[in-house]
Amino acid sequence: MQKGNSIYAEEAERIADYLIGVAPGERELNIYSEAMQILNIQFTKYEQELWKSMLKSKWRMACIDGGLALKEPNNNARRKLFCMLSILETSPAYIDYFLSKSFSSFYFFKLMWTATRAVCRGLTGLFLIKLIKIKCK
Amino acid sequence: MQVDFDYIVVGSGATGAIAARTLVEAGCKVAVLDAGVEDEQYKSIIPNKDFISIRKEDQQQHTYFLGNKFEGIPWQTTKVGSQLTPPRNFLTELTEKLIPFESETFKPMESLAKGGLGGGWGCGCYLFSKPELDAIGLDESVMRKSYEAVAEHIGISGAKDDGAPYCLGELQNILPPPKLENNLKNIFDAYAKKKNKLNKKGVYVGRSALALLTENKNDRSAVKYKDMDFWSDKDKSAYRSWMTIDELKNKSNFTYHKNCLVLKFKETESGIEVYVKRIDTNEEKIFTCKKLILSPGVLGTARIVIRSFDYVQEQLPVICNPYSYIPCLQWKMLGKETEQYKTSFSQLVMYIDENKSNYDVAMAALFSYRSLLLFKLIKESPLNFADGRILMQYLQSSFTIAGIHHPEKPGPSKFIRMKKDVHSFTNDILTGQYILSDQEEEINKQRENKIKSTLRTLGCFPLKTIHTPHGGSIHYAGTLPFDKSNKPFTLLPNGKLAGTQNVFVADGSGFKYLPAKGLTLTLMANAHFVANNAMINE
Repeated sequence: MQKGNSIYAEEAERIADYLIGVAPGERELNIYSEAMQILNIQFTKYEQELWKSMLKSKWRMACIDGGLALKEPNNNARRKLFCMLSILETSPAYIDYFLSKSFSSFYFFKLMWTATRAVCRGLTGLFLIKLIKIKCK
Repeated sequence: MQVDFDYIVVGSGATGAIAARTLVEAGCKVAVLDAGVEDEQYKSIIPNKDFISIRKEDQQQHTYFLGNKFEGIPWQTTKVGSQLTPPRNFLTELTEKLIPFESETFKPMESLAKGGLGGGWGCGCYLFSKPELDAIGLDESVMRKSYEAVAEHIGISGAKDDGAPYCLGELQNILPPPKLENNLKNIFDAYAKKKNKLNKKGVYVGRSALALLTENKNDRSAVKYKDMDFWSDKDKSAYRSWMTIDELKNKSNFTYHKNCLVLKFKETESGIEVYVKRIDTNEEKIFTCKKLILSPGVLGTARIVIRSFDYVQEQLPVICNPYSYIPCLQWKMLGKETEQYKTSFSQLVMYIDENKSNYDVAMAALFSYRSLLLFKLIKESPLNFADGRILMQYLQSSFTIAGIHHPEKPGPSKFIRMKKDVHSFTNDILTGQYILSDQEEEINKQRENKIKSTLRTLGCFPLKTIHTPHGGSIHYAGTLPFDKSNKPFTLLPNGKLAGTQNVFVADGSGFKYLPAKGLTLTLMANAHFVANNAMINE
């Protein structure tokens, strides 16, 4: 990672770990850092609290992301995740996570589990977001 | 006065390029005046490979898929042109600064690019029927020849199937259709099985007619199914207007003047003065010609005409196809891998013609989804990104998008208006309003419901209907409606601007009706027709 960009390294690693369960390579860290400097995403106090909470654990990140997807899909706290998602998708190292492929019939059960988990995460996220909102008032 | 040119053509888009070519081929001395914005950033860095190979191999792919400034990562963007991929963003470059448009209810997209909005054309070709041409104000018998001439020049592929009466008509010299990808083949197979029942309801499905080569033509290659059609024009298999301009540049009787924004014209006894403001130096300049062909796009023409008549009329009518799209899931393709080699363009079109009259036909162009990247789809799901990715990767191959253009007529709440603004580049600004009546909204809703019902019959489950803001269809017309009476701010049937001797309009300004079918082929055919009319007294 280039000097001066390390401030974004930790959050980039956490986001990539949350999104696809991998540690991103130097290429992705550098692109993420460049994207953050160019896009210059500004947080409100509320968004800052959400973001701090999301960085605490992968579970929190998933829940708050899910809650925001239901209630505030354009919240800036999600924007950083979205940027990393697009960077990972356009990286040759991770295309297996994004390109279509033939899935076995059993994969359907994994999908059912994923969908159920996503709903639970979303509902838990709504509760966490409410707590953060109260804290911000 | 010694004039500079026989003809000046304003604009290099779909209509300007065809008008200029028609005049140049006839031996006239022609100049095209154009802002001529070009892609300086991306053209050279996109590899000449297919989408999957690029995704697997190119370490620099983020620079064009996401953009140098990450402009390809959309977030809450309502900006005009935000649907364009980064390598196509140049199409709308400088428009906000040089030709601003303000409206809460109308969001048109304009272009100052070399080749105009044609640079992002989906290549769908539709020959309008006699009732449609009558409603527009064009004569079918004369248009037929122009349709043939344009088809011969740009190259159109298609099939003589159930959709042919709605897109190809009697057009000759058609290239074979491109190969059909699996996703859309399933839909076509389902249609073949239920054809009789569907035909009784007035539903027809056919291969798209596309300005896409399936055989080599001059320096253009047959489609190589790279699925990079929204990103680059490497093989020139899809027709773009700039190709015609580049071809004309080799002719001695043609000149292309870049960086020129035409402000207005003035007819004098010895010719026409065309007033230009250069976009690079702000310098004002006058070109002279015997005859002028306006084709900078309907809104651009409106600006020039209003200024040229000293703002005596500031408000003009406008029409624009309402556009909506319906993402669908096709059960048969769930969890399957999509083929490596395909085209990104629409390959099937559904027509609903209940009266079997080939007029006011409802139409949906069917696309599959891949090359616009998965992360944009993931954002549309109401789930967290990590789980959304897993689900969308599985569903990706089964996504089919039905793009619906609705037919459109003028109305009292559909207009544009020019107002003075000393702060703008041209000292004026275009504004507008576009509101459909309740009745029109209801008819469009019914049309969408019929399309959704047919999609279900064909094995596609519609997820939701997304309505784009008015202007999103990028089809604009009707600002100077055809009228035989020579009334100000109208066009005569031959394309001449009423109240002038030698000014013609070659774009869609005269069209009094917009069928649901895409109008680009008809615009080009009309430009060919108008250019020929302009030469009649030569």
